[in-house]
Amino acid sequence: MQIAVSGGKGGTGKSTIAINLAIALKEYFDLVLADLDVEAPNDHILLNVELQNEEPVHMFMPHFDYSKCIKCKKCAEICEENAIITMKDGTPFLIPTLCSGCRGCEIVCPVPEAILERQKTMGHTYLTNTVYGFPLITGKLLEGEERAMPIVVAAKERAQKLKKELLLVDTAAGTSNTVSKALENSKLLIAVTEPTPLGLHDLELILKLADLMGIETWIVLNRSSLGNREGVQKVAKEYGVKIVAEIPYSENIIHSYIEGKPIVLSENKEAEVFKELAKKVAEYVG
Amino acid sequence: MQIAIASGKGGVGKSSVTASLVYLLKDTYKLIAIDADADAPNLDLLFNVEKWEEEKELTGAKIAKINTETCIQCGICAERCPYDCINFIDGDYVVNELTCEGCGVCRLVCPVKGVITLEEVRSGIIRKTTTKYNFPLISAQLDVGRPNSGKLVTEEKEWAKKIMKEQNLEHMIVDSAAGIGCQVIASLGGADAVILIAEPTPASLSDVKRVYKVVQHFREPAYLIINKADLNPGFRRLHEFAEEEDIPIIGEIPYDRAVPKSMTMLQPVNEAFPQSKASKALKEIAKIVEEEILR
Repeated sequence: MQIAVSGGKGGTGKSTIAINLAIALKEYFDLVLADLDVEAPNDHILLNVELQNEEPVHMFMPHFDYSKCIKCKKCAEICEENAIITMKDGTPFLIPTLCSGCRGCEIVCPVPEAILERQKTMGHTYLTNTVYGFPLITGKLLEGEERAMPIVVAAKERAQKLKKELLLVDTAAGTSNTVSKALENSKLLIAVTEPTPLGLHDLELILKLADLMGIETWIVLNRSSLGNREGVQKVAKEYGVKIVAEIPYSENIIHSYIEGKPIVLSENKEAEVFKELAKKVAEYVG
Repeated sequence: MQIAIASGKGGVGKSSVTASLVYLLKDTYKLIAIDADADAPNLDLLFNVEKWEEEKELTGAKIAKINTETCIQCGICAERCPYDCINFIDGDYVVNELTCEGCGVCRLVCPVKGVITLEEVRSGIIRKTTTKYNFPLISAQLDVGRPNSGKLVTEEKEWAKKIMKEQNLEHMIVDSAAGIGCQVIASLGGADAVILIAEPTPASLSDVKRVYKVVQHFREPAYLIINKADLNPGFRRLHEFAEEEDIPIIGEIPYDRAVPKSMTMLQPVNEAFPQSKASKALKEIAKIVEEEILR
């Protein structure tokens, strides 16, 4: 079973909620946490662990054997990314940064072995053992690479392979298709937001996406004391979702965040919010 | 001149710092602002934009469609989809429109001609307005579940260049998205200077280092602003990073509740609370930006 933490806007506290919820959910499930914010993965930093067990994510790239190529231009014609350009006589050239690794060129090439396989490393996935009783999977896109999707897919697969009772996914900000990929197959989405007009705007987008995907959604209102709660309540009502937890702006949480000491393990009263949230989640997903 | 503002990590204050800098520079310089965070555009909210003067639909994104009438259900498309976006649901192979990247491999491997087509879909919208402060703003909004491509940001910049020519504007300020992916690369491409924003936390440090690697790839001069600087006074690793990489720190902004408060008022903090601690720091930064970058 899978549940997800997401929230539209960056910096609303997605990762803070994901790691604290993961620790609290350990009471109820044998679980794995997957950090699928592959452009800016931070769960390991908040959990204060060094990434372990690195595995590269390779992507196919065509390599032309010019002694066999018949210059038919088919590969260039079908490439949706325009990553293959051809000279006047039909000689193909690859622009590596545009290639998405889909293998379309290899599929249409009429000459066996005129297109050979080369691989490029797009990023890495990690399987880190934490001291909290659950493993962490992290996807990390290499700097300079543009495509997050293959890393999201690879990290999610690695997490699924562990076959834990519960997979808790922490997504990137926004609502693009890499976020949908991370959310896919979730039984529950915890949407984290803050009560500012910016938070509200982005919350609506993630609620729209969850609606399209048919995922049950709960709202966690972070820094609830900072702004206008009525706005969030209104949006929640409109979309028929409930606000399940409120976390007031808290110096304790900021310090736990900075020090890499999860607040849920502390004696602070904020720890209770996460324990209660975990209980609700456990009751819901069963 | 083109200035990009980036951070790697979301929520460190990119948009609020951008809004204040633009607000402080608008009277001296003729500029245009671009919100390149198409996933979660917020600059228009901070400038209290109520209506858009012009909108363009963004097409170009492609999604595969399977004609269930003629499909022979061999399942090869689902097997070969590189991103696992085709599912067998209620007796039919169906493309998941919210995760499809539009690569077209399914169409190529399908043994029956015409069953799978690639259809152009709307990926979002680009909008232009003149703010109440009299400078133009261009913003993009991606439709939910669409691939976020750098093409969208490139198109925003093209539009901006046209307007700059028409209105004789000097500077383009680009508020880039969080992360390091294609939309960030498109935001940084062609910039004359990059202003990095980070907060003194290990997570923000990690992310700003990652985006700086992309900046280095473009060989663009970079500057650093430390936001919420007093939240973690013992944390010197941002300063160490700046020193090691020879990145000038052009300002430190203290944590100030006036900032979120100004957000709810839909105003840059320098407009809403000009005497606040954050506003004073931002004013100093604007001065340095004028002297060091825009000179």
